[in-house]
Amino acid sequence: MPNRREFLNTLMRGGILAALGLISGSVILRSRDKNACSGGFACSSCGKSQSCSLPAALAAGQMVWQLDPSKCIQCGRCATNCVMTPSAVKCTHAYAMCGYCDLCGGYLKPGTKTLDTAAEHQLCPTNALKRKFIEDPFFEYTVEEELCIGCGKCVKGCSAFGNGSLQLQVRHDRCKNCNECSIARNCPSQAFTRVPANKPSLLKSFGKEPLEEAGRKGVRNA
Amino acid sequence: MKQKIFIIAGLVMLAGVIAIMLADFFSSRKADKANPYDYKMGELRKTDSTCNGYIEQLTIRPALEEIHAVACGAGDRIFVAGKNGLEIYQKDGKPDGNFRFEGLASCMALDKKGRIFIGIQDHVEVFDQLGKPCGKWNSVSPESMLTSIAVTDSYAYVADAGKKIVYRYDLNGRLINRIGEKDPQKNVPGFIVPSPYFDLGIGKKGELWVANTGRHSLEQFGDDGSLQSAWGEASMSSDGFCGCCNPSHFAFLSDGSFVTSEKGIERVKVYSPQGKYLCMVAPPSAFIEGTKGLDLAADSKDRIIVLDPEKKQLRIFVKK
Repeated sequence: MPNRREFLNTLMRGGILAALGLISGSVILRSRDKNACSGGFACSSCGKSQSCSLPAALAAGQMVWQLDPSKCIQCGRCATNCVMTPSAVKCTHAYAMCGYCDLCGGYLKPGTKTLDTAAEHQLCPTNALKRKFIEDPFFEYTVEEELCIGCGKCVKGCSAFGNGSLQLQVRHDRCKNCNECSIARNCPSQAFTRVPANKPSLLKSFGKEPLEEAGRKGVRNA
Repeated sequence: MKQKIFIIAGLVMLAGVIAIMLADFFSSRKADKANPYDYKMGELRKTDSTCNGYIEQLTIRPALEEIHAVACGAGDRIFVAGKNGLEIYQKDGKPDGNFRFEGLASCMALDKKGRIFIGIQDHVEVFDQLGKPCGKWNSVSPESMLTSIAVTDSYAYVADAGKKIVYRYDLNGRLINRIGEKDPQKNVPGFIVPSPYFDLGIGKKGELWVANTGRHSLEQFGDDGSLQSAWGEASMSSDGFCGCCNPSHFAFLSDGSFVTSEKGIERVKVYSPQGKYLCMVAPPSAFIEGTKGLDLAADSKDRIIVLDPEKKQLRIFVKK
């Protein structure tokens, strides 16, 4: 029969062992994550697919998390609730839908008078959205993923004042595909869903509204 | 004794840590957590109520599945077209006829004989008031998306958002010329149409006006395609046109004033014939947020008819 001192010693040793196990486990997971690719969304085209977790999920026939942009209300929780820092949710640009506008609601703060690249005019809190002049009055917008925190502010601006070509998507080269996604648990519009790993994106298209579908087809191709 | 105190202190600390962790875990589930990255659309939708010059007099609820185009005819009868059909109402809102056709009407106009010209995606179809087909014009291009028609005594002007151009037809559907076509040789920039909203109208003196939405301006053209005049500026405030591309629609009052509607910040406003902002007809609060495609018409008494596709209503506004 162990006395109280022996019992407490055993308890302490057990606790230290468990803590060591947790720390080493998290270190291993973190080192695996560092090896993951930092390329684009479509892993097959990013050139770093060997280190990406998506092909493994694909081979195993797994489901992965994705965000349905048609349900997304840009509440900002993708930026604050993901276990990854910065979030695995990023702004993605559907170029086929973009109007290449000079006065871009996703790039410029509302009410900005001079339509330029000055930092104080930019809507994005991390300046992750870049603007490049194409020809008068068209500009191309690209997302610098390393800076994007997935807050959705540009997505809201683009949806309200433009064609909605900026959309939030889970990037599977960053997502840890948790069983219980921390963002999904907190998403007020139930926009997070499981999708097959072989069809991992849920980008909005022109197909939702028949009138706009035809129009945008023409606008895009003209 | 000393050891006992340490154990108790340790247990209290452990309980405290667990309590903090639990509080943090459950507090993150609160649904009303403020968004630190909020766009604050509500601020942009606020307007000065003293600037409202109109009140809503009448609401008509068409039975069509979708509504996209409105026009006024003789006797101030109201015509509304949409998915697979058209409905006619008397000026007091009583139903006065309807007919069916195949396709999604995106725009509509009437000539003095009462013939109804309907833009259906890439072509125009003409009907009499009983729905008897009077003609079907050839499609200009499969990429065409007709968004507006206006008819004078001699011509029909058709706006094509797909090709970003205006066509001038005779009333039998023969294409006469193109207006606003991009021509780098002549330094003509062409219309900027980032989204499929591209309206045109005939002014008080029979002149053609086109909404160059990407430039946030209304532009007047001669029949040869020459630019005569333009006005308009981009602004979130009431005196300008908001967003990437507005006004999405416009109409004329009897004195030549412009009635405009916008998307993004949904609002209907009146401008003088010179383009000076006069008053608000319907503020953003009158519409469901995100409403697009507020087509407009005005009758002989200058009542403004707003087609609200989200609420599926024709909303008639009169001056206060």
